[in-house]
Amino acid sequence: MPDREKDSLTSPVIPPESAPAAKPASPEQEDSQFFYGEPLVGLDPGELNGTMIVVEGLDGSGRSTQIALLQEWLESEGFAVQTSGLRRSNLVGRDIDELLAKNAVTRLTLALMYATDFFDQLEHRIVPALRSGTVVLADRFIFTLIARAAVRGINRDYLTGLYAMALRPHLTFWLNVRPETAFAREFKKAQAISYWEAGRDMSLSHDLYWSFVRYQTMIKREFEVMAKKNSFIELDGEASVSTVNKQLRQRIGEQLGIRSSKFTPSSALAHLWR
Amino acid sequence: MADYPQYSGLQQSFQPLEIQDTALKPARSEAAKTTLPQPGRPVPSRAYPGALIVVEGTDGSGKSTQLYLLKRWLEIGGYRLHFTEWNSSPLVRSATRRGKQKRLLTPTTFSLLHASDFADRCERQIMPLLQGDYLVLADRYIYTAFARDAARGCSHRWLRNLYRFAPVPDITFYFRAPLDVAVHRILSGRPKLKFYEAGMDLGLSYDRAESFKLFQARILEEYDKMVDTDNFVVLDGTLPVNKLQKQMRDIVASRIDLKRFAPRSQEAE
Repeated sequence: MPDREKDSLTSPVIPPESAPAAKPASPEQEDSQFFYGEPLVGLDPGELNGTMIVVEGLDGSGRSTQIALLQEWLESEGFAVQTSGLRRSNLVGRDIDELLAKNAVTRLTLALMYATDFFDQLEHRIVPALRSGTVVLADRFIFTLIARAAVRGINRDYLTGLYAMALRPHLTFWLNVRPETAFAREFKKAQAISYWEAGRDMSLSHDLYWSFVRYQTMIKREFEVMAKKNSFIELDGEASVSTVNKQLRQRIGEQLGIRSSKFTPSSALAHLWR
Repeated sequence: MADYPQYSGLQQSFQPLEIQDTALKPARSEAAKTTLPQPGRPVPSRAYPGALIVVEGTDGSGKSTQLYLLKRWLEIGGYRLHFTEWNSSPLVRSATRRGKQKRLLTPTTFSLLHASDFADRCERQIMPLLQGDYLVLADRYIYTAFARDAARGCSHRWLRNLYRFAPVPDITFYFRAPLDVAVHRILSGRPKLKFYEAGMDLGLSYDRAESFKLFQARILEEYDKMVDTDNFVVLDGTLPVNKLQKQMRDIVASRIDLKRFAPRSQEAE
């Protein structure tokens, strides 16, 4: 190795006074309106001017249907829309799909893979959209992830600490349905119930129906607790698609300043509008 | 907490296990300092019969060579052991490769991906083997994440929480080499430093070697902070290999009841 380079290596290196350490005096107070716990590394929440809307609910609560309709409505009103959901990250989305298919994963590892997926989407999909003033429609958020891990016995404090840097949504809707209704809807969709939506890894029952109902009841109870703490807007998921959609549009319209709440879906989505 | 549902009565076969930071903890009270304080929760005594030996240190500190020699010594003696390496789980390999190639990783996702890898090895190897009365040797452990990810800007509090399911090691060897020695060992032996390895994602310098040096300096600083809080056994990485190995073996023999892990024939003697 040339001497010159060696010299530069042996010369004392002054560790740069780490910029990340220099946070505002009280980060928790400072960022609590944007984050649940602490700020995301390298993000200035001041530059976010979009709107973050979350739709939560059990499997079969009608989330995806409502989000498809909301996207069309918002776009017809001239708003740019970005969607997000579970397992959609470029980083680990497909890996999680494979793990689930092979059923070759333990609960904590799966919880952390989902967290990786969540933060990858947050940083690469949601934050850039919010920076450009887009409306983000999130099909599920940290609440589903926390609920699923919590019913599998992972400490709740651990989970809230894990998601401390998640952005606080402007609106969080909870489509509340009975697990029995959810079962009927899910079964109708695929003529089957999948291993994971029935929570079969939890050995709740050998009967698929009871396994599904028990598992989803546990998830629902977690939602009930989180609903109070996180000011969920609870909607009756048992109501018709158009009724739920009207309630959603009304509340979102208020948030975005959209006056007319009239909406008829295009022919492409008409089949959703039962 | 009272408003949370309790599941234990739901069905007998389902016993929700709380993953607690205190669940897997060596008996020695010294080690109790390392975990997050949990008010109102008693510290249980040692929850597993095995023993965990960990090596830590910056790149080029000589730790892997030393752990290899320790492993050989124990293997030749016929001891029951398992060796595990940082970032080696097949589960997240493709994701890590993809993330690095496409430079998708941020400090947060970089940290979470490594935590997923560690959780997989922990749930499938480290914890069951410690329960099964094995000697577990780990080349890098959670302290690597604490040092590296904190150097990338992740908060200490978040990192400590993230890894609180990890069993506390019986011995953590910290191989300390001066920055210039360690950096020289790496730079002289490698044609080109990789992007994340050099800490290029931090934007410290456009020059990879320079960036690597600045990044390693931050990591070294983070390691040094943990010496007292996490009971590191500090060894001088600049000593000759065989001398260092002698020190390491002496410490292992004095701190761990190796007879427990010996083959049966030897136990009988």
